[in-house]
Amino acid sequence: MSMKQAGGNRKPGGGSSGAASGTGGSGGRHNLGRGRHSAKANSSAVVFNGVYGNMRMVDVLTSVVGTKCDLKVKNGLVYDGVFKTYGPECDLVLDVAHRTSPESSPSPRHEDIVESMIFRSSDVVVVHFRDVDLNFARKENFTDSAVAVSGRVNGEHKEKSLEPWDGGDQNRDQNRAVSGSLESLDTDVSNGWDPKDMFKYNEQQYGIKSTYDSSLSTYTVALERDTSEEFLKREARAAQLAEEIEASSTYKARVALENDERSEEEKYTAVVRGDREPHPLNRENKYVPPGQRNRDGMSWGAGRQNSPRLVQGGSSPPAPRPVPHDYSPSSGADQRVVNGGTTSCPSPSLRPPCRYQSGPSFLPPRAVTPTRPPPRPPSRPSRPPSHPSPPSRPSSHPSPHGPPAPVSTLTNRRMSSEGPPRMSPKTQRTPRTHRPTPGSRGPPGVDFMAQNAAGEAPVTPPIRASPAGGTWSSVVSGAHRPRSPRQHSVGGASPSPSSLASPQTGIASVEPVTMASASSPTSVSPFSNMAAAPLTEVKESRVQEARQNSPTANKENVKPLESLPGVNRTSKGPPNMAPDHRKQIDNLKKHETPSSVVCPHPEQKRLPDVTSQGVQTSAPNFSGGAKPEEKEGQDLDQIRKSTLNPNAHEFKPRAFTPQPKPATTPTPPRPQGQASPSIMVPQPQQVYSQTVCFPQMYPLTPVSPGVQSPAMYHVQMPHMTVSQSKTYRQVPSMQQQRVDQHHLPQGGPAMMHPASAAGPPMVAQSPAYSAQYFTCSPPQFAGQQMVQPMSHYQSQTQHVFAPVMQGQARMMAPPNHGQPGQLVSSTTTQYGEQTHTMYVSQGPMPPQYAHPSAALHHHHQHPQQSATPTGQAQQSGQHGGSHPAPSQPQQHQTPPGIHMGSQPQQQMYQALAPTPPSMTPGPNPQSPQGSFPSAQQTLYIHPQQVQHGYNPAHMAHMQQVSSTFRSPSLHSEYMLYEQAHMQSGMVASHHGNPGHPQMMLMTTQQPGVPQPQLSQNALNPIPVSSTTHFSYLTHPQVQQHHQL
Amino acid sequence: MAAPGPGEYFSVGSHVSCLTCLGQRLQGEVVAFDYQSKMLTLKCAPSSGKPNLHDVILINLAYVSDVDIIHDRTETPPPLASLNVSKLANRARSEKEDKLSQAYAISAGVSVEGQQLFQTIHKTIKDCRWQEKNIIVMDDVIITPPYQAENCKGKEGSALSHIRKIVEKHFRDVESQKSMPRSQAQQTQKDSTLSS
Repeated sequence: MSMKQAGGNRKPGGGSSGAASGTGGSGGRHNLGRGRHSAKANSSAVVFNGVYGNMRMVDVLTSVVGTKCDLKVKNGLVYDGVFKTYGPECDLVLDVAHRTSPESSPSPRHEDIVESMIFRSSDVVVVHFRDVDLNFARKENFTDSAVAVSGRVNGEHKEKSLEPWDGGDQNRDQNRAVSGSLESLDTDVSNGWDPKDMFKYNEQQYGIKSTYDSSLSTYTVALERDTSEEFLKREARAAQLAEEIEASSTYKARVALENDERSEEEKYTAVVRGDREPHPLNRENKYVPPGQRNRDGMSWGAGRQNSPRLVQGGSSPPAPRPVPHDYSPSSGADQRVVNGGTTSCPSPSLRPPCRYQSGPSFLPPRAVTPTRPPPRPPSRPSRPPSHPSPPSRPSSHPSPHGPPAPVSTLTNRRMSSEGPPRMSPKTQRTPRTHRPTPGSRGPPGVDFMAQNAAGEAPVTPPIRASPAGGTWSSVVSGAHRPRSPRQHSVGGASPSPSSLASPQTGIASVEPVTMASASSPTSVSPFSNMAAAPLTEVKESRVQEARQNSPTANKENVKPLESLPGVNRTSKGPPNMAPDHRKQIDNLKKHETPSSVVCPHPEQKRLPDVTSQGVQTSAPNFSGGAKPEEKEGQDLDQIRKSTLNPNAHEFKPRAFTPQPKPATTPTPPRPQGQASPSIMVPQPQQVYSQTVCFPQMYPLTPVSPGVQSPAMYHVQMPHMTVSQSKTYRQVPSMQQQRVDQHHLPQGGPAMMHPASAAGPPMVAQSPAYSAQYFTCSPPQFAGQQMVQPMSHYQSQTQHVFAPVMQGQARMMAPPNHGQPGQLVSSTTTQYGEQTHTMYVSQGPMPPQYAHPSAALHHHHQHPQQSATPTGQAQQSGQHGGSHPAPSQPQQHQTPPGIHMGSQPQQQMYQALAPTPPSMTPGPNPQSPQGSFPSAQQTLYIHPQQVQHGYNPAHMAHMQQVSSTFRSPSLHSEYMLYEQAHMQSGMVASHHGNPGHPQMMLMTTQQPGVPQPQLSQNALNPIPVSSTTHFSYLTHPQVQQHHQL
Repeated sequence: MAAPGPGEYFSVGSHVSCLTCLGQRLQGEVVAFDYQSKMLTLKCAPSSGKPNLHDVILINLAYVSDVDIIHDRTETPPPLASLNVSKLANRARSEKEDKLSQAYAISAGVSVEGQQLFQTIHKTIKDCRWQEKNIIVMDDVIITPPYQAENCKGKEGSALSHIRKIVEKHFRDVESQKSMPRSQAQQTQKDSTLSS
């Protein structure tokens, strides 16, 4: 802001002071001088014909122009009219002339008046101008002399002949002072008075003191500058935004309009809107010119979403990772806060940071994108590790699918984000749009990829992949900018789609992250993974988030608003989340470094407070989870590392287990803590805040420890996605490799991962799967069902719960985080969608699937699976499907490729469009509300259960939880997830896509590393995500986003 | 140019008198004279008698007789000042519009009293116009026939009260001048206008 203001000031100032004053002042004078001189020249030098050559005659006749006169002609007739002009032969022209007669009334009738009459001089005898002021036209030219001459003003009637001012030579007598000053002015080559001189002169000459204050304090609030990190970040972001905005073609075009610098062609024939086609894009970026949008996938994001992100990232691209971890949570919160304004400020302080952080993170994505790659790779490695931790993914199969797809997408996104962050943003954004749009649906995962590359389609995958980031970004930027459009446009339905997309992505990303964490450093890795993932995710998420978030955020926001009741629920959910976060935080605190711990603590504390009731239980679980243990050692290291180094470094070194964990862990805690805090504050608001935080956190997560879970998810997600193929292949032990691979080959790696994951998944699957299933399924089910009744809120709660599920939650969270904005904005619906997506993605979807399709897929997939198109169908599919769950998962799995391609897009679109329906349907099925409560409960339970069972037990818990609420559906979902996971694990290769690979990774990781930890980690992330989800769900979040 | 002979050339500032073919005696100070077109411009005392105003008479010497130079002026005439053409154009337009507006009002059957009142008001307040037979002043006050002070309607305020004062004064002046020739009455109006 400050930057903008500064910029604005500069511009105005520069413009006005420089050109304006100069040209204006001198120009005017010169003109005056010229006028005078020219007048003289005309009268004396120029040769004219006839009367025109008679200077005196011209002068007198001209002086009487416009006066009434009566003209007598030879025949004695008299005409009355207004003297208009005369010709060289002294022909006279009278306007509105009428012939007068002695008996006629003083005023002629309209019909007697002739518009204009020309009298030949030969016909004119006498023209009588009555009561003419010969000085009429002269007075104004010489105000001073006129004043002097017009003594009559004071009752004096001195006759003073007007004389032309001749540089003072002739008029000095009368106008000494004036002429003197004028002369000096005429000879003054400067551009006029400096404002300071004017003030000074007035003060000295007239004792007038100007009250002008350059700060315009009476007009606006003076910007308070400080050296706080937040302020600097904001400033940097503002600068970046300003730069982006000013660099945007739209801006330039508008400026050109003002300055008229554009050519005719540009003005009238260069309208490029064909690219706009992507409605989704429009949603997010209404303002962005189609051409620009099309031009720069990034531009969209950058312009709107990106810009914020970029700005943020720009501010602290490098730092983002380290900071991101810390910030990530806060950043998430901040972003949300920013987006929503301060409404969801549960953790105001955190939020600002979050935004900034997120901003930084975001910035990195854009600006850093290139830079990010390195970080991401590291993160990815970490993620891969996480992936290895199949448990989480498996658990979050639903998410895994989403994640896998997301992963791939994420990978892509990440890849893109690194190199082509912009592209990813665009893609993300576009994906969203695509999702909504049928066209996007049409294209399969591949299409998505392509689309992503193109912009829209890619966007979806990217979104999913970077969901966390993307969502975040979307949340942030989207919330701010896109949100409104989407929200408006999407409102209930469209928002949901977008939200779905984003959520999905976010979820997917989350899942991968969790997977990664779980995989390699299950116990420790979670944190590391989390941290690493967070970092990478954060980066990506930032970018993506910024991009995706904006749209999603809008949607989410809308949703939250819509689902106020849901908010309450969400609040409940958030509590759950909070607990998880708290747990995580606690773990972090215990194990991890102080910084991370600190952040987490606040958040956790807050979360506990707000959500403490529900969350607390979960929190214990989390804390109880392996995370604490692993986190302690590794986390601390990681945290330190993370804080110190960018995600990349941390991730790479730690990629597999410890490093990522440390960094991630620290960050996750913070994010969580932050998120939780936000959540904590006002449950509804808190929820929002939490959600917000979480979303933000997620995006940030990568960077900040607090976001750990989110970050983890995000990171994992990305890693998962990216690495999945590779990771999966390498899966088990090679987290780093996975990450790297993930980064490199998105699709392929994902595929690989599945296979590799297949093995691990078996082990960890139960926990991870359970978690994922839980989270995913709950969210989906709850979301769908809940969504219908509660719609958004319910769905959100469910989502939250899902996140709570840890495995899924994380997965979910990541996606959410990735799509935080979306989630936030569309919270409920999106969440629901996300959850759905998660499921979808997990089950069937490849990475892409998972992310983009995740939400969409869920819906779509559900429909597909269950055949029921709407949310009910989906839900039923999920729920009922849950029963059929296996089938669903299978479907998901089977379709992965398809889903990836068509489903993601279609799903995305469908989800966007359908989602709303599905949402409604879901409610109809109804259990939604009931389910929501249950979901919430489940969430609470889940955390504990998850923690406890994270391994296999988690599955049981999850199932139990789900069973408790919508046990059937949940169970079914879980089952589905599990199956999916299993399948994914089994089929991983088949899925080939990230989803399964991720799952596999997750499983692998879980097995390899302390599954419990992984699970816990996953859980933690999940909680975070869930919280985020909740927050999203909650209106506060939305508001925050908006505000933000 | 051939040196103008006596009676053919009038130096600026000279006072001349002449008799038109229509039997009108004109006298004034020479402001300008164009030999080729035989056009002479005189500056005379204002018909309204107002200071700073003059009557300007453009005479075609072709239809004039008995040109007498009352006294010649040999001094160099003062330099000419440039004129603000746009101002003149605006004056021409406004005069034209006023006349047309008045013509419309007259065509609408507005009474002479109404026309006079309109002219009186217009001298003080330029923003007045005819709407059918009603006089609209400043888009705020409407004066309906028979144009008495009580016929002034509009939002209560200084504007309305001010216009009522103008109307009252107008009719008071009209009453005081009833005995006088109409032309005089008009002249007084003009005077007031000029003075304003």
